[in-house]
This record gives sequence, structure tokens and C-alpha cells, in this order.
Amino acid sequence: MLKRYRLIWERRAILDTLVRRDLRVRYARSWLGYLWTIIDPLSMALIYFVVFALIFKRPDAGYHPYFLFLVIGLLVWQWFNASINETSRALLAEAKLVRSTNLPRELWVIRVVLAKGLEFLLSLPVLVVIALIYMITGTTHLNWRLIMFPFAIVLQAFLQLGIGMLLAPTTVLADDTIRVVRIFLRMLFYATPIIYALNLVNGWAAHLFWLNPLSGIMEMYRAGFFPESVARGPIVTSIIISVGFFIWGAYTFARLERAVLKEI
Amino acid sequence: MAAQPLTGADTVIEVNGVGIEFYRSRRRKLSLREMVLRRESTAPTETFWALDDVSFTVTRGDAVGLVGSNGGGKSTLLRTVAGVLIPDTGTVDVRQGVAPLIELTGGFLGELTARENVYLTAGLHGLSKEQVDERFEEIVDFAGPQVRQGIDMPFRHFSSGMQVRLGFAVITTLDEPIILVDEVLAVGDKDFREKCYLRMEKLLESGRTLFLVSHSEADLRRFCTRGLYLKSGRLVGDGPIEDIIEAYNDAPAT
Repeated sequence: MLKRYRLIWERRAILDTLVRRDLRVRYARSWLGYLWTIIDPLSMALIYFVVFALIFKRPDAGYHPYFLFLVIGLLVWQWFNASINETSRALLAEAKLVRSTNLPRELWVIRVVLAKGLEFLLSLPVLVVIALIYMITGTTHLNWRLIMFPFAIVLQAFLQLGIGMLLAPTTVLADDTIRVVRIFLRMLFYATPIIYALNLVNGWAAHLFWLNPLSGIMEMYRAGFFPESVARGPIVTSIIISVGFFIWGAYTFARLERAVLKEI
Repeated sequence: MAAQPLTGADTVIEVNGVGIEFYRSRRRKLSLREMVLRRESTAPTETFWALDDVSFTVTRGDAVGLVGSNGGGKSTLLRTVAGVLIPDTGTVDVRQGVAPLIELTGGFLGELTARENVYLTAGLHGLSKEQVDERFEEIVDFAGPQVRQGIDMPFRHFSSGMQVRLGFAVITTLDEPIILVDEVLAVGDKDFREKCYLRMEKLLESGRTLFLVSHSEADLRRFCTRGLYLKSGRLVGDGPIEDIIEAYNDAPAT
């Protein structure tokens, strides 16, 4: 298994080529491409803000300021959602290349997570601007826990790589996977503290949220922006679950590779 | 060019007892549960061996032609040597880099310009940007004046012939010492085909190892010195290309 990953590391130049290709395709048709990666989460944040803060008058669903709370959650979700959707199709979408180039097949999954991760990083200036506005008006005070932010990125990447390596070969062998993934993602959106805060969940249900690795990841992302205390439990479980997914994914991918190459 | 001893120092490809089993139905029916939980598939599925106990070695500079009827396992063998199929039994040891002329336009993207595509495809096969810079003129020259005219056009505006030309031009400028060719020579017009032939001969002269799948006896005779005859997945002949072509022609149709 380690040998495989050394081989992938040796081919990182190709990974670089692939990620560039993805970004170039995305932005080839129009330079507006970049704006779209921002407009989507921003408009979603606006919708939830209007619905919950203005119509239902419950801005306390999340931390204060609620809009900043939403933007962080939705930017993170966008990376997760896009990664899972596209990694599940990673091998099918590049069937011709998978059939004709002898590269470590994991590259096709890794490249999606990285390309989407780069888009996520490129969308962060928006978060900076919004946070700055709230800081100037005195609503938001950053704290030292902001150092958890980069760790959250790494953790999320591992989680997505793991799930991606599970889904990509599965999709080739069973076509109904993509449908299942789509429904599952929609449910997961509401089962993740994106539009509400984890501390609103009480009792036994709170422990159920520990099983969702995104709960802990969201806690880490938001820790530096809000004074509310950070729940340690979900962070610990999310580290364990993310690493677990990565290992499970890596082994499943290696085990299914032979069958996938015949089918593709 | 008979079979070499297994431990020859110049052996570049060593195929040993390779078997590949395919499912006869188009798609193996597996449920998600079975796959994730490592259960044996409960549905009985009929299988066949596309390759069955195939063994041979290839030495540096060999020009090997694969001969056989449709479904004999030629393309499967080529893809196994290219490393894009993993054998179910046996081992494949390829000791040098491979330039696969399979799915020539597979790496090209319609949205990008031909220029960008050249850099990306060459990059996928391991060339650095500087190396492509050096070879760029040569690649476009080879692909022809029509391609040069549209070099900054989106690739999807190219005719399929032009696409294949560019693909061939890119793959054959790779430095890889082993070249695998899967019937791509059949595409393109007559002039271009002749150009491809000359390029292939030049590559052979420079000591490359060639693996060619073709149904054209003329092509096989022109490029290959050694033939491998595959029949229903089994290797039934290995020898000078003339003998192998003769054996194939004499074989009763099945």
C-alpha cells in the first residue's frame, strides 16, 4: 500500500497537470467562471439568512453574526458536495484516459479533491472580506483558535479522498451508485451543522452528530471566528472517522481496481 | 527472433502465465452491499478467459506483431502490457517506459485549444513543459498545415482525422523505448498514413521496441520481424512473422 502512494508521489507533476487542466476547463469559457464559485454559496447564504433570520426571526439558529456563520458553513459544504459528486464519477468521466494511460488510478480521485480544494481556497477571500466587515463594525472578534482552520482543511481533504476512493470504483461497477449518492448528500446537508449550530442539538441526538465527521470539521472551521466554546467530542470522532474513511477507501480502491479496469 | 531465454539481460517485457477473465454479460451485476462488504457475488455469471496462460518475453529492439482473429485476445494483451489491465493470473513485467498508441485522442478536451491540449496530453505522459516547448514545432509540423492553422482554436472544431493526427504526433514524440500500436494506422488519409509509417520506421531504426496489433498483412510484414499468434486467448504461435502469418492463414476458420 505504501509503495502505491510512493508511486503517486513520484507522479505529482502529472497531478499538477491534471489540476491545472480542470481549472483551465472551468475558466476557459468565461472569466466569470471564478465568480460562479463565489456566487453560488453567497446566494445560498443569502437565502437561508432571509428565511431564518428575517422571516422566522431566528438568527440564533447559528452563532452571531448569522450571515458569517452561514457563509463559512456553505463554502465548506460546497467543497464537500462538489468533491463527492465528482469523485463518484471520477473514473467514468475520464474513461478514455483511464483506458489509455498507465498512471496510478488513485490520481483520478485525488485530482478532483485537489482541484475542488483549490476552488475552495480561491473562494476564501470572500470570507475574509465578510469577516473584515463584521470586524470593523465591532460584531466579530477573531481569536487564536483560527489556527484550527488549516487543520480543518487537511482533515476535510482526507475525508473526501477516502469517500472518493470508495465511490469512484463502486460507480463503475454499479450504476445506481450516483443516484444513491445524490440523495444521501441532500440528507447529509441537513444532518450537518451548516445552517444551525451544533450546540442547539441536545441530549442523545448530540451524540448522533458525533458520527458525522463534518460536525467536527465545521467546529474547527468556525472556532476562530466565534466566541462560543468548541465541542471537542465531535472533533475527535471526526479525526478518527476521516482517517478511517481514508484507509477504508484506499484498500477498497486497490481491491476493486482490477474489476474496474475490465469494465471501463 | 525466436523466444529468448527468460533471464536475458536485454529482456524488456516478460509475460508469464497471464490470464484475464471477463464476464460474458455486458456488466457484472453487483449490488452496493456486496461490493462494500466483500461478499462473493450471489448471481452466477458466465465468464470466459480473454487471455489464458500466455507467456513470452520480448527483448530490446524486437518488433512484434500480434496476429489472430477478432476476439482472440490481441487488444487485451496489448492493454495488459500497457498496464491498463491487471491480469487475474500470472505476471507482466515491463521494464521500460511505454508509449501507448491506444485511444489516441483520449486525453484531449474539446473546450481547450489544440495548443493547450498538446501540452496537457504530453504532460500526462510525463513530459515537462520545457520538453514540450522543444518539440512543439515538430509535433505541429507532423500533424500538418490544417492543424497548424487551427492551433489556437477549440479542439472540438477539428475533424476527427485532424484530431487523430495530432494525437499520433504527440504520442510518437515521447521518448518511451516501447511503443504499443493498436490498429491506429488504419485512420487518416493515404498521405498521412504514409507519414505515420515513415515515423514508425524511424522509431524502429533508433532501437525502439514495437508491439503492433493489425489485421493488415502488409503492415505486419513491413514493421514486424516476430509474430505472436493468439487464438481464443491462447498463444498458439511464436516465431518469425512470415511463419506466423502463414500459420494464421492456414488455420481453419472457426
